[in-house]
Amino acid sequence: MKIVIRKILKFERLAEKISYTSVGAVFLSLEGLGKAFEMTKEAIENIFKGIISTKDAITQMVEVGWKSLPIILLTSFFMGMILSLQVGLATSNMFNEPVYVGTITGFAMAIELGPVLTAILITGRVGSAITAEIGTMKVTEQLDALYTLGTDPVKYLAVPRFLSCFFMLPILTVISNIVGIYGGMILSTNTWAISSNAFWAEALGFMTICTFLHGFIKSFFFALIIVIVACHKGFNTKGGAEGVGKATTSSVMTSIVFILIADYFLTALLVTLGIK
Amino acid sequence: MIKVDNIYKRFGVKTVLNGVSFDVRSGETLVIIGSSGVGKSILLKNIIGLVKSDSGFIEVGGVNITNCSLEELHEARKKIGYVFQESAIFDSLNIFENVAFGLKNLTFLSKNEIKQRTKQCIAMVGLENVERLNPSELSGGMKKRVGIARAIAYQPEYMLYDEPTTGLDPIMSDVINDLIINLKKYLHVTSVVVTHDMNSAYKIADRIMMLYSGNIIFNGTPDEVRNTKNKYVKQFVEVSSQ
Repeated sequence: MKIVIRKILKFERLAEKISYTSVGAVFLSLEGLGKAFEMTKEAIENIFKGIISTKDAITQMVEVGWKSLPIILLTSFFMGMILSLQVGLATSNMFNEPVYVGTITGFAMAIELGPVLTAILITGRVGSAITAEIGTMKVTEQLDALYTLGTDPVKYLAVPRFLSCFFMLPILTVISNIVGIYGGMILSTNTWAISSNAFWAEALGFMTICTFLHGFIKSFFFALIIVIVACHKGFNTKGGAEGVGKATTSSVMTSIVFILIADYFLTALLVTLGIK
Repeated sequence: MIKVDNIYKRFGVKTVLNGVSFDVRSGETLVIIGSSGVGKSILLKNIIGLVKSDSGFIEVGGVNITNCSLEELHEARKKIGYVFQESAIFDSLNIFENVAFGLKNLTFLSKNEIKQRTKQCIAMVGLENVERLNPSELSGGMKKRVGIARAIAYQPEYMLYDEPTTGLDPIMSDVINDLIINLKKYLHVTSVVVTHDMNSAYKIADRIMMLYSGNIIFNGTPDEVRNTKNKYVKQFVEVSSQ
């Protein structure tokens, strides 16, 4: 009997612990959402009021756009080639000749792979750097120092990063689309003996302006996800070097998960709106 | 004048400040001593509004720091200089830009005036020819002095120093002590200094206060500290002086 009571009590304590932990986790998530919302609101208010340091914004645009260009060019080119190779192989197996290589490569790059690949690469290169930089400033009291020197960290750090991500990611996405399709064309002409004219005709034949807009519009939302998550994680970093490491990992993982979830809902929405 | 009245601050189950009250008169230098983790830095951060107290009242130069708008807090901070324990100088800016940062944001000085004032402040803390260096190229002690130069650059009425001489050699510590004394003497700056360095405390303090278990257990002149019978203060002073 005593053993049974002890087991029941132990189970109750465990349940209580789990319940506290769950409530705590939910509370922390809601608190985090609230903080992220406040920061975003403040950053956007500053942008609309024109409280922007042009010098810092340009510096960040160079960092996000220009310095990310080599990696975007390289990965997009290879992604286009991989697509062409795979589509050519699959259609050769089915129809004994490579067909729709240009069409599928073009569509895949423009509506999905261009925006998502670029967003994931920018998350890894820029999002992580934003979190690590702001997080280090937080744990070394540099954010507190900004307050004491009459500067709001959101205005000083987040606003230029918001602007640079919001404008640079769509530009990089367009470049990624073009370079990816070009990579596909290079492979098609060499491996599948498809002439470049035929490839471009296939690639662009079924596309409309909406096909490009589909990926382009998504890239603005991805940019917001990257910069909001990165800044929020940075501003809320706790602990020393270990805390910065954890915040950076969490920032990258959270951004990637949110990008993929948002991608589904945005695709569904844009298709419903006829932008496809 | 700085007025701190019945300040409470808790972190989870730990009570760090347990009803702390004191005043710092205009032009006075108050030194706060106490063991590590007793809440001295938290008290300073409460005074400048970086940490919000759970209850109580803090007034700096007539502004109620504990209950004011962000704009009022921003205005109040223009009058307060803060020297951080770990210097907290900005990694992304060079030394000149670090020291000039407050001048650009808190004053309406011209570019030339900012340049002159910045150079002057860097020289005042015993640094020369470091303006174009990055913080990573400086030693810990040099960074600390840059932090002090940055805090005094916009000539605040109130200075809060969080362990200003920790990590400095005795000669440089003395330079900083003299700087604190001169700021008081010539600019009538009101200062609150948190330190473990009793030599520094005796030299710069008008009054010394000891924080223990979230409460003030001693508040008196340097001479009163030397002759105190309070066993905690006595022990702290003896160990610190060794």
